[in-house]
Amino acid sequence: MRFPRRIAAFFHRDRETRALRDEMQFHLELRARKLRLSGLAPDDAGFAARRQFGNAAVYQDQISAIWGWTMWERFMQDLRQGIRMLVKAPGFTAITVLTLALGLGINTAIFSAVNAVMLRPLPYPQPDRLVSLWEENIHPDDRRFSSSGTSAGRLGGVGRTTLSPANLADYRAASAFEGLAAYDSSPVNLTGMGAPQRVGGEAVTWNYFSVLGVPPAEGRTFLPEEDRPGANPVAIVSHEFWQQRMGGAADALNRTILLDSKPYRIVGILPAGFQSPQKLGLQEATEVYLTASYASALLANRGDHDVNGLARLKPGVSVAAAQAELNTIWAGLARQYPATNANIRPEIAPLGDDLAGSVSYSLWALFGASGLIVLIACVNVANLLMVRAAGRRHESSVRMALGSGRLPLMRQLMTESLVIAVAGCLAGIVTGRLLMLGLTAIAPAGIPRIDTAGMDWRVFGVAAAMALITGLIFGMAPAWQASQVNPVDALKTAARGTGAKSQARWRTALTIAEVSLSLILLVGAGLLLRSFSTLMGVKLGFQTDRVIAMNINLPELRYADGPARFQFFQKLEDRVRALPGVVGVATANRMPMRGGWASGIFLDGDMDNEYVPDFQAVTPGYFDTLGIPLLRGRALTALDTDQSVPVAVVNQTFAHQLLRDADPIGHTMLRGPGAPRIAIVGVVNDIRRKGKDGEIKPEVYLNAAQTALYPVRLADFAVRAAGDPRALVNSISREVWAIDKDQPLTNVRTMDEIIDEAVARRRFQTLLLLIFAAVAVALAIVGIYGVLAYSVSQRIAELGIRVALGAPPRAILALVLRQAGMLIAAGIAIGVAGAYGLTRFLQDLLFQVKTTDWRAYTGAVALLAAVAVIAALVPARRGARVDPVVALRQE
Amino acid sequence: MLILKTLARHKPMHGFAIAEFILETSQGVLQVEEGSLYPALQRLLLKDWIVGDWGKTDENRRARYYSLTAEGRRQLARELDRYARVSQAIAAILQPVEP
Repeated sequence: MRFPRRIAAFFHRDRETRALRDEMQFHLELRARKLRLSGLAPDDAGFAARRQFGNAAVYQDQISAIWGWTMWERFMQDLRQGIRMLVKAPGFTAITVLTLALGLGINTAIFSAVNAVMLRPLPYPQPDRLVSLWEENIHPDDRRFSSSGTSAGRLGGVGRTTLSPANLADYRAASAFEGLAAYDSSPVNLTGMGAPQRVGGEAVTWNYFSVLGVPPAEGRTFLPEEDRPGANPVAIVSHEFWQQRMGGAADALNRTILLDSKPYRIVGILPAGFQSPQKLGLQEATEVYLTASYASALLANRGDHDVNGLARLKPGVSVAAAQAELNTIWAGLARQYPATNANIRPEIAPLGDDLAGSVSYSLWALFGASGLIVLIACVNVANLLMVRAAGRRHESSVRMALGSGRLPLMRQLMTESLVIAVAGCLAGIVTGRLLMLGLTAIAPAGIPRIDTAGMDWRVFGVAAAMALITGLIFGMAPAWQASQVNPVDALKTAARGTGAKSQARWRTALTIAEVSLSLILLVGAGLLLRSFSTLMGVKLGFQTDRVIAMNINLPELRYADGPARFQFFQKLEDRVRALPGVVGVATANRMPMRGGWASGIFLDGDMDNEYVPDFQAVTPGYFDTLGIPLLRGRALTALDTDQSVPVAVVNQTFAHQLLRDADPIGHTMLRGPGAPRIAIVGVVNDIRRKGKDGEIKPEVYLNAAQTALYPVRLADFAVRAAGDPRALVNSISREVWAIDKDQPLTNVRTMDEIIDEAVARRRFQTLLLLIFAAVAVALAIVGIYGVLAYSVSQRIAELGIRVALGAPPRAILALVLRQAGMLIAAGIAIGVAGAYGLTRFLQDLLFQVKTTDWRAYTGAVALLAAVAVIAALVPARRGARVDPVVALRQE
Repeated sequence: MLILKTLARHKPMHGFAIAEFILETSQGVLQVEEGSLYPALQRLLLKDWIVGDWGKTDENRRARYYSLTAEGRRQLARELDRYARVSQAIAAILQPVEP
């Protein structure tokens, strides 16, 4: 009750004040009348009444204090005063606000990315109860199982693998879960609706949408009986599919669409904007959802891992409790099925964390870096404020001499700083918004949810908090300074305007801090740059120029087996090879950079030792098209067929690691007991098929013609052109459609583009940190320049005397530069120590570069020292050119 | 306490009336600057012991009439009680010692 009254009174304080004055006036009138009645003269009565009443103004003030208005009024007074002072010095205001806007803007932009990618809850109901479920191979060397799906999440160790659908039923028994669903990417060819298209699809268990908590907007979700082999084929489509591909037709429900040439009935349409967890914020959206309908053979094999798990915890159940329960279930499975489950442990993590994964690491690093920039901006503004405060020492002293307390003086300066901070914050938010637009435009693909980065209460909150903290930080120094003023001394020396000793110390310290902070950022940027140039220097081992690659996914219904698919590609190769401008053609299950397949083998009949090399099924043109040199033996040829001897070509690493550098030609391998014996006929150069930062593994190339040897599908097609490979795309498409008019071409990219995309994230990080470092160095230069220019202007008289006494300009130059050198050296020393401590957080972002890389350190130190000296030279030269006559006359 | 007591004894009064009443009742013993009454009234308002309602005087002049709230009555009782105890104690100490 008391508080609201106080607040209500606060808002009506003007009215209340008037009422009080009125009331007191009334009192005085009554008293005066009474005194008059008792015989006093009217004038005397008025005086006497007032005398009896006391000082009305003082009582008004007391009342105002009782209601707690005084503080507010003083604050408003300070505020008005502060704004007046800032408006009177537009140059100073512009520089400080701009500096802050730059620092806070960068910070806001990076934070809004952090917020979008990691902090904002997932767009599903009660997202904190959603967990991601995967399996971890706790002995990654043990490859007794096969894994083929792509994991949606990014947490977990090297042994992270997709789930085995066979284990799902056991995990579902955990009482911690309200529901457990599985999903996996399963893109499909959409035909019968204009040109054939490849669309994003997902095969999901029937309860997928209820676990996510999102029912279809129209129609219904899947029924359990639809999630079985042989059930009626049904599909649920995204709102966007319905709008864009079906024109938002009112009768879309129950219509039939052709996916991979098979008719599916649409039973549901999802709400607008719904997106599968694995596709959040990515460009290729999932448009159709089909039932997973796991085959009984798959459900019988616990060693087959190929789906992603997603579970909803019951309310109040913690992730740790659910994990503990899973561990118990796992222990039972490991006893029952030691071969497939002993080394495969189920693991869960909050879905949001899992999706953000490693991205969060680099984003936090960038956020830290942007925090350093804010600090530098603060230091710079503090420095500027100190200069200003020095100019206002006279004013402060006069105020103090006139009886102003230290506290009100400090409060006044702090309020001014806060005004600057708030202005800087607003400008920073605008800058941040602009930077964010630029950032998302150049951000590499594959950062989940970055597209949703924008302003929300969290971003505003952080920006406001930063502004407040920065305001306090940079306001503190000058306010403290001002409060230390001794009016007597200050007024005596005011005419000459020399700064106090302690003030010079403060500014020196601030400048040193600035230099060291920028050095930390420079070292970080240097490390990333070193890492990036190391990465770019890595040789891939194959020629990427003038090669274009594409996916041609042949639907099962029309191309039932390996030979049928091989025949399609053979026909296509013949037709495309005949096109003008084509130098080479190749088909493979997967081209480099696009995933692959690994399988266990036994060498030379030794069934005790199993090795797991990567496998490729390729056509003979593969090596020439990609420019992979043959080192020994022969390459694969058109003469190898299903009827001839099974053959393989291996890479150098195969020979080195699995055969101890023996000549591989003549050795044989088996993919399993009773499998065909494959003879090694040649050795090719190593290539980095997983990209520049990927490792080189033992590699086996099978001939695509020997279709009985490999279980994977041929799906990638590549062409080497004489000129620009892009120019061939249309004619290649025509050849594809001449063979099968329903066959889409997808993922059409030149090899160079593919390689480029693979390093895009590293390039992005490097670029950002370089920009940060540049901003930091620029701010530091301004800081150094400011300090020295001020110090020279303060010492004009002294320098003038020196010149008058015969000091050569060179000596003056050296004098100022020595001062600068001290600042720079101290800053660099502290900065090196700071960088040594902080850059360890960058380790995960670096490729083959240690965080203690001496080149990055020396480069950063040299660069900073050079620019700092240049910044110092300008004021130093001005000092050296001092005309003693002018300088002394100023005195 | 004096203000509370004054208001407890009478119907709602305005500031001048309160001052007059205290002055008269104490027969001029309690003489303070009359203005100090107003901060005191504001303190009581803030504590919700009294309420002030604007009204008209007999001469049709706008004035604020203060009256006691229930909480104010309880407070008055508490203060009177305490005052009684303190004054009793003082009286006991000051009592002439029996020869």
